[in-house]
Amino acid sequence: MRDSKIELMSPAGNFEALMAAIQGGADSVYFGVEQLNMRARATMNFTIDDLEEIARICGEQDVRTYLTLNTIIYDHDLSLMKVIVDRVKEAGITAIIAADQAVISYAFTKGVEVHISTQSNITNIETVRFFSHFADVMVLSRELSLLQVKKITDAIEREQIKGPSGNLIEIELFGHGALCVAVSGKCYMSLHTHNASANRGACIQNCRRQYKVIDIEEGYELEIDNEFIMSPKDLCTIDFLDQVIDSGVKVLKIEGRGKGADYVKTVTQCYREAIDSCLDKTYSKEKVANWMERLTEVYNRGFWSGYYLGQKLGEWTSQPGSVATKKKVFLGRGSHYYSKLGVAEFTMETQKLKAGDHILITGPTTGVVETVIEEMHVNDDGKKEVAVKGDKFTIKLDTQIRPSDKLYKIVDSEAVAQ
Amino acid sequence: MVTIIQQRNKCIGCNYCVELAPERWRMSKKDGKSVLLGAVDKKGFWNVKVNEDELEANKRAAEACPVNIIQVREH
Repeated sequence: MRDSKIELMSPAGNFEALMAAIQGGADSVYFGVEQLNMRARATMNFTIDDLEEIARICGEQDVRTYLTLNTIIYDHDLSLMKVIVDRVKEAGITAIIAADQAVISYAFTKGVEVHISTQSNITNIETVRFFSHFADVMVLSRELSLLQVKKITDAIEREQIKGPSGNLIEIELFGHGALCVAVSGKCYMSLHTHNASANRGACIQNCRRQYKVIDIEEGYELEIDNEFIMSPKDLCTIDFLDQVIDSGVKVLKIEGRGKGADYVKTVTQCYREAIDSCLDKTYSKEKVANWMERLTEVYNRGFWSGYYLGQKLGEWTSQPGSVATKKKVFLGRGSHYYSKLGVAEFTMETQKLKAGDHILITGPTTGVVETVIEEMHVNDDGKKEVAVKGDKFTIKLDTQIRPSDKLYKIVDSEAVAQ
Repeated sequence: MVTIIQQRNKCIGCNYCVELAPERWRMSKKDGKSVLLGAVDKKGFWNVKVNEDELEANKRAAEACPVNIIQVREH
């Protein structure tokens, strides 16, 4: 692992995002398998058979691996839960992230390292002491302020509260990404309206929609400036990351297992640079401005500091979806890579591409590659300025691409809207 | 005649189908997903033909399914 005082943990919803997290400089990744994770609805979850491959890839890069097993657990889930924990041990996955006592207890008896999930909503030192019998790392509730976090980390140090490994308990904190209006992972809104329990990873996020407030007796509708009254902006801590580190947390977690590989790479890169600059004392306002600009280019609903700085009221987004300043437009797929020449060939399936355009390539092995088209050769016609649907074109590229890779053009969001 | 179809690999094991149509559904203790009793697998789509008297309960199960993987067709 990197020689950093704070571990950067990135989300991995699939192999593309996993590679992107590694390329971005993550110290660790977290991911789910099968239906017992908080992204059970996602179509892109890993399966239990991917565990060995994940462990292998991350092992080569010295990146720690955490499997989320943090839904509520019914009786009929127990067998699968045990199978998953057993396979985690066999595959050499670093630890599991758990909330239910059945999972914590079983993993503990099997000698699998346990981290306590945010779904356990730890908010005080006594709960830390309780879980220290089973777990070495604990996520604190997202609703705590940094002052409260520091009191907890100070108490761990002062009272020498240690986990099963014999080391002091490490505190993990959410640093970036979507926030729930409800207590993390304890919301029943989606369950009540669509039978889709957030606690089983099936949340349909209908809190993100617009709502009206109507007086039922007389039908008067209250005027509300922002109709997205339950949809918070995304958490962002990069502009006060020095304070986050000073609070004594050891792991900084980026949210977003449902998000694309480009999001994972950009956010991981920004926080990697920010953590490193905090440690080498070069953290500055200019750097923060640059990171903020890059973070706004990928998926976001606007940013706020959450509750970490003691703010009492939430900040609501004013948009139904992302307000990212850049969007990616699908163009086609990789065709071939001429490794001796360092030339990549792509097939255009839609849209058009010009010299000077900014492109993004993503794939399960490739991860995320970005470049600007300087010159391209189209079909057998030699150097050309434009490639269109049906064309094959080649560009100089240092990184190997593969036929499974997707090709996108990065454009300003405003250009897409027009 | 009624046909019930389940796209089983997408089941998240919430148990609603069992609650609403217990005669036709069970939770598997092996993999934690629901089992459509009597059904046969056709490329991931498990289906079974049942009598009209099972229609209402299974319609409710289909409506309740949070991941929309149950279909009930009347013939």
